Amino acid sequence: MATDLQRVWRKLTWPWSPLSEREASEAIVRNLWLHWFPAKVSGRSLSWSYSLWLGTAAASLFVILTVTGVMLMFFYVPSTERAYGSIKDLQYAVSFGRVLRNQHRWSAEGMVALVFIHMARVFFTGAYRGSRVLNWLVGIALLLGTLMLSFTGYLLPWDQLAYWAITVGTNIASSAPLLGWTVQYLLLGGHFVGQQTLLRFYVLHVFFLPAVVWMLFAYHMWRVRKDGGLAAIEAVRAERRAEPKPMPRSKSYSLFGLTPGTSVAVMSSMGLEERDQVASSPNLTRRMILVFLAVFNVTLLLSLLFNAPLEGPANPAVTPNPAKAPWYFVWLQELVSSTTIHLGSFTISGGLIGGILVPGVLLAALILWPFFDRSPASAEGVWFARTRTRQNAVFTIISIGIIILIIVGLYLRGPYWHLYWPWSRRPVLPQVL
Amino acid sequence: MAERQDQSFEREDFAWLVAMSIVFFVLVAIALWREYATPWRPWQHRFKRVLAQAGRFEDARKFHSGFRQIWNPELNLADRCVSCHLGFEWGGILPASLPQPLTPHPALSYMTHHPFERFGCTTCHAGQGWATTARGAHDGGPGWEEPMLSKQLAASCEVSEAELIQMRCNFCHRRDVSTEGMDSLNMAKKLIKRRKCLICHTIEGQGGHTAPDLTYEGDKSPEMFDFSHVTGPKTAFNWHVEHLTDAGKVSPGTAMPDYNLPPEQARALALLILSWRRINYPPQYIPEAGAASAAPRPR
Amino acid sequence: METDRRTLLRWLGKSSVFAAFVAQIGAAARAFFPNVLYEPPSTFNLKKPEDYPQGYTFDSDHRLFVIRGAATVHVISAICTHLGCTVQWRGTEFDCPCHGSRFDANGNVISGPAPPPLPWFEVSLSPDGLLEVDSAAAVPEGSALTTPTAKA
Repeated sequence: MATDLQRVWRKLTWPWSPLSEREASEAIVRNLWLHWFPAKVSGRSLSWSYSLWLGTAAASLFVILTVTGVMLMFFYVPSTERAYGSIKDLQYAVSFGRVLRNQHRWSAEGMVALVFIHMARVFFTGAYRGSRVLNWLVGIALLLGTLMLSFTGYLLPWDQLAYWAITVGTNIASSAPLLGWTVQYLLLGGHFVGQQTLLRFYVLHVFFLPAVVWMLFAYHMWRVRKDGGLAAIEAVRAERRAEPKPMPRSKSYSLFGLTPGTSVAVMSSMGLEERDQVASSPNLTRRMILVFLAVFNVTLLLSLLFNAPLEGPANPAVTPNPAKAPWYFVWLQELVSSTTIHLGSFTISGGLIGGILVPGVLLAALILWPFFDRSPASAEGVWFARTRTRQNAVFTIISIGIIILIIVGLYLRGPYWHLYWPWSRRPVLPQVL
Repeated sequence: MAERQDQSFEREDFAWLVAMSIVFFVLVAIALWREYATPWRPWQHRFKRVLAQAGRFEDARKFHSGFRQIWNPELNLADRCVSCHLGFEWGGILPASLPQPLTPHPALSYMTHHPFERFGCTTCHAGQGWATTARGAHDGGPGWEEPMLSKQLAASCEVSEAELIQMRCNFCHRRDVSTEGMDSLNMAKKLIKRRKCLICHTIEGQGGHTAPDLTYEGDKSPEMFDFSHVTGPKTAFNWHVEHLTDAGKVSPGTAMPDYNLPPEQARALALLILSWRRINYPPQYIPEAGAASAAPRPR
Repeated sequence: METDRRTLLRWLGKSSVFAAFVAQIGAAARAFFPNVLYEPPSTFNLKKPEDYPQGYTFDSDHRLFVIRGAATVHVISAICTHLGCTVQWRGTEFDCPCHGSRFDANGNVISGPAPPPLPWFEVSLSPDGLLEVDSAAAVPEGSALTTPTAKA
């Protein structure tokens, strides 16, 4: 009986403690979910300090968002009359509804932040060069997909926060030259935010964008494999190549017998060696589970402590004072509100400059950066390589600028968009009673 | 080599895995506990005991703990106040001295025309009916425009709680000339006739055109008022009180006379004006135009 | 000759499929442009001009201001030209709560990020004397409708 149980247990858990090299590789290769990983992975790739496992953390958040999102779909109604009430029901009447909704919201905000920080890590380690350029571009597409997912989800509660943030956001889109009005008309399903807008954003948010992001994510992981692994291994490879190999003794045949000497031999290693590799199962899989568990714990803790915001029901006649975009777009709102240029009778709208041109230039810079990077190969896969200092400085300065704008927009703007210090009293807005 | 690396990874991760698993367990346990320890559950247990103490053993036996609500799709309300306010329909049987939230609803003469299952609670008392916590239900949180008409809110307006509620009575009883239980607003409606407001103002399609249309003045956003000459609190209610008392001070250059109304008249009128809103109640909730109701006519 | 016919038929088949495919994609894209809008019409009637008091009256249903002068009436949009929030009338100027744009009593920009001034909508009288507003037609500032003799 005991040995039967042991046998069953062994059948279920053998990937965790493979008894041979072959078992270790079969744990990966014969598994539907895991076989996109290599059977062996370099020890350096598993380092905490290299990648900080940010990509895995972002992916964990995406898994949490998908699962909580599907659960929320059983309760949320995408109708302008019933959306708000369905969210209130989730908050007050559905068992664990409050935690479910909070976890979805905080995971979403965390994912936007983590995706950006992951991108910064990839930049600072110069891991977008050579064959990894394609993956960098896929990553940018994933960043845009994440932002669009967050934006479409923002409208769904149909409260004042949602309604006006999307009014402002789609009006920024309309400032784009040529296609701006068409894009706005398509997004809104008309001229104003209404039921048709809610439905379009809902379908984008629960089906279309997640499908696109999941497919891009799969391709992103595939590219990591095709590129040989994380860029950290480039440094290891360079090391191996530089190591002198002892000349192998061999025989040479002359006309009159054997003579000692050298023969054709491989002088340097082409890549990683046996000693650099560990089995993916269980080392990689264990760390992934650890990262997922840690991320889940953080989101659950936040969900227990803080409620996702919800204001009064959407009212097209009354604009809240002030009306702010979500935090990851509030830097754009800052730009848009301060870049209107009046040249005599000619005016260029801040919506165009701050909303389209500036982000467009930043996006173009991100996309084109790998093609203009002239640093040597030794800078790849290391943090803050000396030869990349100028590039890293530019990225840091722009990022800090964006973060400052976010802080100003979130904490220093009060009614009528006037600036207030955090400690100064804001004017109290009038109430009914 | 590979095995040694294997072992070092395992050693590193083992402690963290155990720690994260324990934290996971603790957080889920907290989530489960929070879901069980709702604010209303202790009150419901206590109410069961109260029923037994009052001799209602059968009712006490049948009383089951759980979410409760009054649902009326006609008015689109789902009032969960009754998850805590359990004594509401026990007036006359349970003592009125029971502490809140178990106190029975006061037996008012017009309650027979306003059964709970048709009107719910928030129709008259405002507040956020969806909520199942006290703060959520009474205060509503940021952005909730209709806080419960509580004693505190009434005190800050220097009126009584009943007078505040009369404001909501008038949502349906607007066309009545005089309604039982609405003494303050009945007086205000008479004032409108006596002071001839309709000479300048239009209300419901009748009246003069030299002053703004007041038909839906209660819907006007408080931010649209000019408070630069208002001395009291910055509320729409107070603006109307001061404007009715001394229009020239609040809106300099206005043609509206200074009525110098006594304070209780000004407050009653202000409540009446705030009751003039667009409402979506189905016609069966609006009292028929009977002998007691006719819209005021200009003279 | 046989080869030519086969090549022709093959070409015919492939291009038919390709054309049909492109047409289907076009049809799918066209479907997303709505033909009917569940929005109020751009031309609508308000009350009679004489029924408005002198000064600025906010119409929350249509998000506009009706301004009645001594003998004229005109309509200014209350939708901020910057990013679409509803402006508030503060007695001497319009203020937008979103980014602090300020417009003077005629809708011209005083300060703030709004680019163009608040538009004046075309007004006319309907056959039964109601104020007819065309919110899709902007008129130059200053062009107001002369009201028929106002009743007190």
